[in-house]
Amino acid sequence: MSTIRIGRLAAVLLLIAVLTVGVVALSACGSGDEETAASSSPAATAAGPITVTDDSGIEVTLDAPAEAIVSLAPANTEIAFAIGAGEQMAAGTSYDDYPEEAKALPKIGDFANPNVEKIASFNPDLVLAAAGLQDKVLTELKELGVQVYVVDPKTYDGTIATIGNIGKLTGAENGAAMVVEEMTAAKEEVQAAVGDLPAATTFLEIYSKPLMTAGTGTFIDDMITIAGGENIGAQAGSGFPSFSTEVLVKDDPQVYIADSGSMSEPGEIEKRAGFADLTAVKEGNVYVIEDSIIARPGPRLAEGLRQLVTMIHPEASTTE
Amino acid sequence: MTRPARTGTVPGILLAAGVLAVCLALGLALGPVSLSLSQLWHLVTAGPVQGDLQSAIFWEIRMPRVLVSALVGAALAVAGVILQDLFLNPLTDPYVTGVSSGAALGATIGIVLHFANLSVTTVLAIAGGLGTLVIVWMAARRRGRIDVFVLLLAGVTISYLASALVTVLMIKANEDMTAIIYWLMGSFSGRGWPDVRVALVTIPFMIAPLFFTREMDILLQGEKRALELGVEVERTKRLLLVTAGVLTALAVSVSGIIAFVGLVVPHVVRLLMGPGHRGMLPVSLLAGASLMVLADLLSRTVIAPNEIPVGVVTTFIGAPLFVYLLRRGRRA
Repeated sequence: MSTIRIGRLAAVLLLIAVLTVGVVALSACGSGDEETAASSSPAATAAGPITVTDDSGIEVTLDAPAEAIVSLAPANTEIAFAIGAGEQMAAGTSYDDYPEEAKALPKIGDFANPNVEKIASFNPDLVLAAAGLQDKVLTELKELGVQVYVVDPKTYDGTIATIGNIGKLTGAENGAAMVVEEMTAAKEEVQAAVGDLPAATTFLEIYSKPLMTAGTGTFIDDMITIAGGENIGAQAGSGFPSFSTEVLVKDDPQVYIADSGSMSEPGEIEKRAGFADLTAVKEGNVYVIEDSIIARPGPRLAEGLRQLVTMIHPEASTTE
Repeated sequence: MTRPARTGTVPGILLAAGVLAVCLALGLALGPVSLSLSQLWHLVTAGPVQGDLQSAIFWEIRMPRVLVSALVGAALAVAGVILQDLFLNPLTDPYVTGVSSGAALGATIGIVLHFANLSVTTVLAIAGGLGTLVIVWMAARRRGRIDVFVLLLAGVTISYLASALVTVLMIKANEDMTAIIYWLMGSFSGRGWPDVRVALVTIPFMIAPLFFTREMDILLQGEKRALELGVEVERTKRLLLVTAGVLTALAVSVSGIIAFVGLVVPHVVRLLMGPGHRGMLPVSLLAGASLMVLADLLSRTVIAPNEIPVGVVTTFIGAPLFVYLLRRGRRA
């Protein structure tokens, strides 16, 4: 009984707090133009509301850096720990496996089925969500008055921007700046290594049966391009489309990269139907990349990008 | 009520064989990568050539895919005919016996246990399907005879149970959910010669029932009448059930669960040919193969380089055709 009452009281207080924050934020900001100013000003740590725009285009406002963060995706958990906001992490998902400390966090379910009650029980002042699957949960959380930042970057730079934003929301600007610097350095390094080498046609396999790839509007497509590849999957449309094996063989990529990890096991790629005659197979340019460094929009994309360039342009990285 | 004019047995079979030949030719000639007639002629006459990409597309990707879809379509149609007759129930399809759900459970276990070798998953699917058949069989056996209605109910029940177990596994092994969902949806994407080899095993099981068409005709009049007419009812039922179960398990294990072919093809053929099995069984076999080859052709070409799940296509072709024929049959 008493715990229920306390819970209710807490919910009411939370609601009041959030409403106050909302009113304050509204009166303080006035217009959305302020947001860009806030992003560029390092003084955002000073008292006063923190406002950023998330990857779904919605403004997220906190009146003080978040103290109880719930992450709904492994990438978000990685970001929080990498920027030094691990202390404030209240809960994560059952998929969170990096860094090691993340495994010990309380779990709110997994990426596909986050449990709203469980999330609310941590009284989070910030929820780091993902797009797509979680839309229904997000609506419920917003009704509860919880501030939700949707992490859904479409490019490598978008991921960097999101990490910067999360830095602001959590008061971990310095840590975030270091991560941003490292990710930017990785990109510059890779771009310098690639130089003006001709783009190598590259196929990136997300899933093998049926064959699926990374299409346009994904940070994976962007990273292939940065690493000097021409993404064959881009012709199949946006997101993560299915892809015809016949067209794959016709386009005959110079480099074949299969994503591997909990979601997908590529098996023996060379032995697949019709693969024996692919240029990538004949020239030994078939690679397997761990999905957590290429499919999670977080700090380890820097590592993913560095690995991609050694696969797409081995000559570039060795001559360095 | 006068029955609509029906095609004779031999012309019907020849026509269906002709249709299948055309579908196979189209399936081999057309694809997301277009090959001209002279290129096709060259590919066919030269045979598989190492190191030639067009040859790889034709011989290693398209050919096995067309063959697997033809065999799976034929197997599902034959299983559908047998089971609709045995259960005397028009809503029966090869999946009501629980065999497909059992196969799905087997495949799910294979996926969850992360066998790098995908053929282990195929073997587990076959084992799951046949295992389910045995359980359903034991449930329906009373004093040496099989009660088909108990069998139907047991099949549906086991089917629900297996589906529930698949769901539990999906939730427990959440990271494999995508793989399981794609498996369940059914597809011929990426099927190669090893899959053809599995699918070829269906052939003897498709031929066997062709020798029992007279018994199947008589069974349609009920088991009592069949006994009076001297049919060894239990032996025939056993043979037909095992045949249908094996066909379903093999088909599902290579392609996943593809809807509608096993339900609709027997009905359409029955409407066109009449219920006599000497004609409708072989025609169903050929028509099932044709429908599946055609459906897979559309699934890989319509929005190329993307693919549409083949079960969606079979339903889009099958449903309007079926409703049209039902209405026409009613009016005649």
